[in-house]
Amino acid sequence: MSAAGPGGREGPITRVIRTDYLARVEGEGAMYVRLEGRSVAEVKLRIYEPPRFFEALLRGRAFTEAPDITARICGICPIAYQMSSVRAMEDACEVAIDHGPLRDLRRLIYCGEWIESHSLHVYMLHAPDFLGYAGAIEMARDHREIVEQGLQMKKAGNSVMALVGGREVHPINIRVGGFYRTPTRAELQTLSEPLQGALQTALATVRWAAALPFPDVQREHELLALSEPGSYAVDLGEIRSAGGLEFGPGAFDEHVVEEHVERSNALHARLSDGGTYLVGPLARYALSSQLLRPLAAEAAREAGLGPSCANPFRSIVVRAVELVHACEEALAIIERYEEPDAPAVEVTPRASVGHGATEAPRGLLYHRYEIDEQGTILDAKIVPPTSQNQLAIEEDLRAVVEDSLDLPDERLALRCEQAIRNHDPCISCATHFLKLTVERG
Amino acid sequence: MSRAAQVLVIGVGNRMRSDDAAGLEVIDRLRALPREQLGPAVRLCEHEGEGLGLLAIWESTAAVVLVDAIEGASQPGSLVRIDASTEPVPASARSGSSTHAVGVVEAIELARALGRLPARVVLCGVVGARFEAGERLSAHVRGAIPALTEMVLAEVSGLGGGVPPGAGGQA
Repeated sequence: MSAAGPGGREGPITRVIRTDYLARVEGEGAMYVRLEGRSVAEVKLRIYEPPRFFEALLRGRAFTEAPDITARICGICPIAYQMSSVRAMEDACEVAIDHGPLRDLRRLIYCGEWIESHSLHVYMLHAPDFLGYAGAIEMARDHREIVEQGLQMKKAGNSVMALVGGREVHPINIRVGGFYRTPTRAELQTLSEPLQGALQTALATVRWAAALPFPDVQREHELLALSEPGSYAVDLGEIRSAGGLEFGPGAFDEHVVEEHVERSNALHARLSDGGTYLVGPLARYALSSQLLRPLAAEAAREAGLGPSCANPFRSIVVRAVELVHACEEALAIIERYEEPDAPAVEVTPRASVGHGATEAPRGLLYHRYEIDEQGTILDAKIVPPTSQNQLAIEEDLRAVVEDSLDLPDERLALRCEQAIRNHDPCISCATHFLKLTVERG
Repeated sequence: MSRAAQVLVIGVGNRMRSDDAAGLEVIDRLRALPREQLGPAVRLCEHEGEGLGLLAIWESTAAVVLVDAIEGASQPGSLVRIDASTEPVPASARSGSSTHAVGVVEAIELARALGRLPARVVLCGVVGARFEAGERLSAHVRGAIPALTEMVLAEVSGLGGGVPPGAGGQA
């Protein structure tokens, strides 16, 4: 980090804060803030976007290959990419897996991914911001129990991924139409014990997170998430917004437009009316908090969360509540599981366009594919959550800087990093290098 | 300590990130070897390098060999061996796959801070030329894969698994 120029006496003087590596976000990218006197002249979050590479790679491949290819986009959330891709392909081929054990298994492995991803963020990436450490290693020396809890949760998530997904990393058991092999009831029962332990840890984590010191910040974003009647939506549903939008995944392109931004290879998403929006835990919670499972709902109440949460710093509490919910949901699925007659339903390709949207740990993940009658992919479009959140995160940055002008450069830069980390940007999905620059003028 | 996994060899990387696939290429080569050359006490696995996941995977393993691409100032294709068993990994040896906030090096140091580091941890690396999205290794790294595989085999042998390189088969 470097800093240049103190505040001025006459006329605007430029202050520059530069951080070459933004720690504790997944992946790497760049942030730039320029201040003119006491006003924020410019805020830019610059990211690059590997999904463009994957979209090109997918063209000409078989429709059955999409789940395994797109799983490689992110090591943290491969299930999300697999699920959105199989949903889109099944949509194109007019197959619906919306109930029964195959649907349950999909939701179960998705719960495993939420547990893994949220554990990483809550305990390792976000906690150091509130406890005043540079990172997890420094924090571990004084707060060993927090890292141990993270490890326990991670292992519980791993066990779900390994059993249902075939292996812990880059699961290989998911296919268009279902699975290559489905677990026996007895096999699934072996997950109960680690998940019961994880549930207790998650409940303790909500209580711990609720007591952290939060800045008093309220951010009013339009919020977009999947919504499913009777369920805290994960793998299926219509897309709804807090402001009243409601549309199916097939209408995503009508309501969300992507625009090229000069500073970035990424496409930035906006609503068709020009507005920015936020996806992720805060959006899911605002739209579906009344549908949380009982222990998660009770934990949220005890933590002081209302029906929605507008303070992005408190997203750590919402993620912890989602950890409770994911454990409860997984346990309920295991309890009611009946082995399916077949591990997959047959899916016959047809010339068509299919859409799929699911809730990745970081928010809505949209896929669209055009395939021909042989099932060859003619076109692919992937919109990850971090691309959708980019403009909302920039708005948060602007607000944080305006509220913190009197902080010295180093602390202001840290505050900016925290404002970004609140949204757990998976920049490995959407970029390569993150650098932080603040200019004061 | 399970007798079945005295030495765990973890290839770290992403096959869609150019030279980041180096560790996985080595695992492919080790899997293609006659099983007796590795011996029953050696387990092979692939990992994308997220730190907490690594801690979970090597738990209760006595010896770990990590094979990874390294982002470094030296010539692409150069081999790097770091014994992290007792000394912290130098900050200069940042792993190419650590596009994650808690990557391989952080996982090692986190495990050390928690007293969860396996007794022996050796990092065998190759300096990569590029890590952007792509399916191909650079010529530098591709040319170094046989030597990196030999290096891993020698390490495995020294840690009590397999047979010394050159004593049978080839990498």
